[in-house]
Amino acid sequence: MAFIEIQNLFKRFKNVVAVNHIQLDVIEGEILTLLGPSGCGKTTTLRCIAGLEKPEEGNIVIDGKPMLSDGFVPPSKRGIGMVFQNYAVWPHMKVFSNIAYGLKLQGIPRRSIQERAQQVLELVGLNGLEERYPAQLSGGQQQRVALARALVRNPKVLLLDEPLSNLDAKLREKMRFEIKSLVRRMGITSVYVTHDQAEAMVISDRIAIMDSGNVVQIGTPHEIYEKPANRFVADFIGTMNFMPGEVVRVLQDTDTVYVRTEFSEKLQSKTPDVTATTPGKKVHASIRPEDVEVFTEPPQARENLFKGTIVHKAYLGNFLYFFVDVGGTMIRVQVPYHLPQEEGQELYLFLDPQKCMILF
Amino acid sequence: MSRGNIFLATLLWSVIALLVLYPISILLVESFKIAETDSWGINNYLEFFQEAFYLKTFGNTLLLSALVLLTTTLFGVPLAYILARYRHWGKTVFTALILLPIVLPAFAGVFAFIIFFGKYGTLNLLLLDSGLIKTPINFIYGLHGLVFIQSLHMLPFIVLGLSAGFTNIDPSFEEAAEVEGASGLWRFLTVTLPLCTPTYLAGAAIVFLWPFTDWLTPLILGQVDFLPSIAYINIAYHFTDVHRKYMGIVAVMVSSIVCITLFLLARWWVERKKYTGLSKGTTAEGRVIEPNPLVKLGGYLYMLFIAVLVLLIPIVLGLSAFSRRWVFEPFPTYWTLENFRLILLESPGLIQNSFVFSGVALLFGIAFGLPAAYLIVRTRVPGKDALDFVITLMLAFPGIAVGVSYLLAFWKDIPLATHWIIMPLALFARRLPYFLRMAHSSYLQLDISLEEASEVSGAGKLRTFMNISLPLLVKGVLVGVVMFFIMAFQEITTAIFLYRGGWETLPIGIFLNWHRGMEFGIAAAMAFLMIVITFILLLIISRIAGGILKAAWGPGGGT
Repeated sequence: MAFIEIQNLFKRFKNVVAVNHIQLDVIEGEILTLLGPSGCGKTTTLRCIAGLEKPEEGNIVIDGKPMLSDGFVPPSKRGIGMVFQNYAVWPHMKVFSNIAYGLKLQGIPRRSIQERAQQVLELVGLNGLEERYPAQLSGGQQQRVALARALVRNPKVLLLDEPLSNLDAKLREKMRFEIKSLVRRMGITSVYVTHDQAEAMVISDRIAIMDSGNVVQIGTPHEIYEKPANRFVADFIGTMNFMPGEVVRVLQDTDTVYVRTEFSEKLQSKTPDVTATTPGKKVHASIRPEDVEVFTEPPQARENLFKGTIVHKAYLGNFLYFFVDVGGTMIRVQVPYHLPQEEGQELYLFLDPQKCMILF
Repeated sequence: MSRGNIFLATLLWSVIALLVLYPISILLVESFKIAETDSWGINNYLEFFQEAFYLKTFGNTLLLSALVLLTTTLFGVPLAYILARYRHWGKTVFTALILLPIVLPAFAGVFAFIIFFGKYGTLNLLLLDSGLIKTPINFIYGLHGLVFIQSLHMLPFIVLGLSAGFTNIDPSFEEAAEVEGASGLWRFLTVTLPLCTPTYLAGAAIVFLWPFTDWLTPLILGQVDFLPSIAYINIAYHFTDVHRKYMGIVAVMVSSIVCITLFLLARWWVERKKYTGLSKGTTAEGRVIEPNPLVKLGGYLYMLFIAVLVLLIPIVLGLSAFSRRWVFEPFPTYWTLENFRLILLESPGLIQNSFVFSGVALLFGIAFGLPAAYLIVRTRVPGKDALDFVITLMLAFPGIAVGVSYLLAFWKDIPLATHWIIMPLALFARRLPYFLRMAHSSYLQLDISLEEASEVSGAGKLRTFMNISLPLLVKGVLVGVVMFFIMAFQEITTAIFLYRGGWETLPIGIFLNWHRGMEFGIAAAMAFLMIVITFILLLIISRIAGGILKAAWGPGGGT
């Protein structure tokens, strides 16, 4: 059941198209993340849902009610909660007043406000701090005030605009899980905006990847990672090796192709769309660094086995990272154990045909 | 596009049309009229630019402006540097003293220096008595005196801007130059100063414009060959010679055009070049240097020297206010409160008028300025930038232009000038840009997400403004409010054209007293009273704003 429907949304700022006719559904109760690089339109889309931006075309429907097509519904009447990137916690009001602000406007009796404010303060772990001013709180605490303020009104929809980007790395990591479990517990439909793909992977039920105003792919974190729709997505999520080449042969029934690359006449690879793949087509064969198998001695002969020279070696604590030159192409390899080989020495790389994928 | 916003914009524009565009166009039209006839032409302008007399006054004024700018720069740059870079005792006090000339009425300086530096003033008398000189030295009656007095009055505009600029420069810019091998002076000339160009130019524009609007100082010193003074004399004393009136108007127009052109030029120049980088800013104190003791001593002495000059004004005026018949003596011999009695008992109307007119002007200022700031910063209504531009341009207009244009415009068809309301209106029109700038920069500092968060929480636009925006703006706006009041309080260049019997303010009273050749003491007493009132107001804002520098320039810093 689509709780939020974004229909043909188009927003322009002067000559720049920020959101280019996108279509998106947010399922009730899910956390959907809009993920993409700066300028891809994710924040603009979020602000359109909030009513802080007016799109030139398109409609947004929240819980069955249109926000644009039946006259513009202002943000104050949309029943949403929003956490801003810089928290926007009002400096001249105490924590309690910040949280109680929206409730007071609804005419809720004082006793009720007190109760609910206490509850939500407990929920975010800030009880005891209600009499403080924001200037007396740390960044992480202010962020929680912003969250509490958004949640206390039991909104139908929660919008979060890069809420963790101003926190330090450790706190960010911790808060990801906290936000996710909090929102899950309350069952609120949420739209989350971030450029941090690791954050998106942790928090989301589904991710919508955006680029230059368009939605490029929507799927679960698993789907996006394992089956990226194109090069952009593959490159944006995790790291990916790209090996440019040309299709030389297509095997219809196994969805397999052979690709001629700089270093191989017949690199065997999977294709996501066998009907669109024809011999002669220019493609990028791709494989994740962690999917490349490494041998120090030449193993038993097989397809997709290549010899290469180590150009860089990096020790990252929990794994080793190699840049290996295979016939002129640089292939990145991630190995979860220790190898004595150093720069200049040889390695044998097996690019498992099942794990190798071509992308357009 | 919100209907409310468009309505607001229309309202504001109508006010500007009435109070700015209409009078200026009348002024322009009048300057083309030919006396004794019903026709129009550019004859007046031709005469202006062909007659040696007018050309000379124009040239004199340009020369004066250039000299004043040069003097304030030469004296101001070291002072700004000392204030910004050296850690020294009494920094706040010195800074406050440097600020003093802005809030003193312009003519206060003239009077004080005539008493002190005049032909038979204190200094000359002391020198004569001690036998060091045989005849009095002419300290102030001449171009040099004019330059001195006007430079001292305008010094704060250069010093405060530059010292804020020096303080706010990211130290890494200068450190990078040092690493590259640049010596102290070279670094200063090639890195520090250029980076402060915007703040300098802003102050420089105001300084250069001043001699084009200050008709009072040359007049008091008996130097009338300056454009604004000629304009005043021609217009105020044309009697039945209508042609003289028109020539006066032409003089005003020419002054205005010069002022506006320079103002726009400065703005354009600043906008052309980029003066910021990716710098992360600096600490509140800025880069502090510990110079060698000799240099530091020199710095102290220099600051002291300037401070003494500035302090002379209130001191001399104070002495004069509390004395009588202080002539041909270096110091007063007869102390009395008679002067104050005369003012407070016989013409309390002056004080009342000053407060009432400034107060009403202030109300206009707030009622117009806050919505205008909101419109310019928060909305995208078409024409809002033009509104901002026109209001800022009002800064460039000489006071006489406003005064004369109001006189011409509001006499017959829209007889506002027949009612005392014209006084606050003129004060409002003159000082609105200052208030708008303060409101504007306060609004800019107000993060829009604070207002958006309020809207999302369920509050409409008006409620958001009352609960969120206004409380957060108040501090900055309050400073603008008091500065506005102070400046309206000492306004004379415009008011002198519009007052009628019973509408005199304190500054006008001072001028009239001097003009009628009455006891200098009474004029000085009034001036002293003004200084006291202004100083108290300034103390109030510095309390609110948390510091004198912030008080002068508002929360935005710089100009």
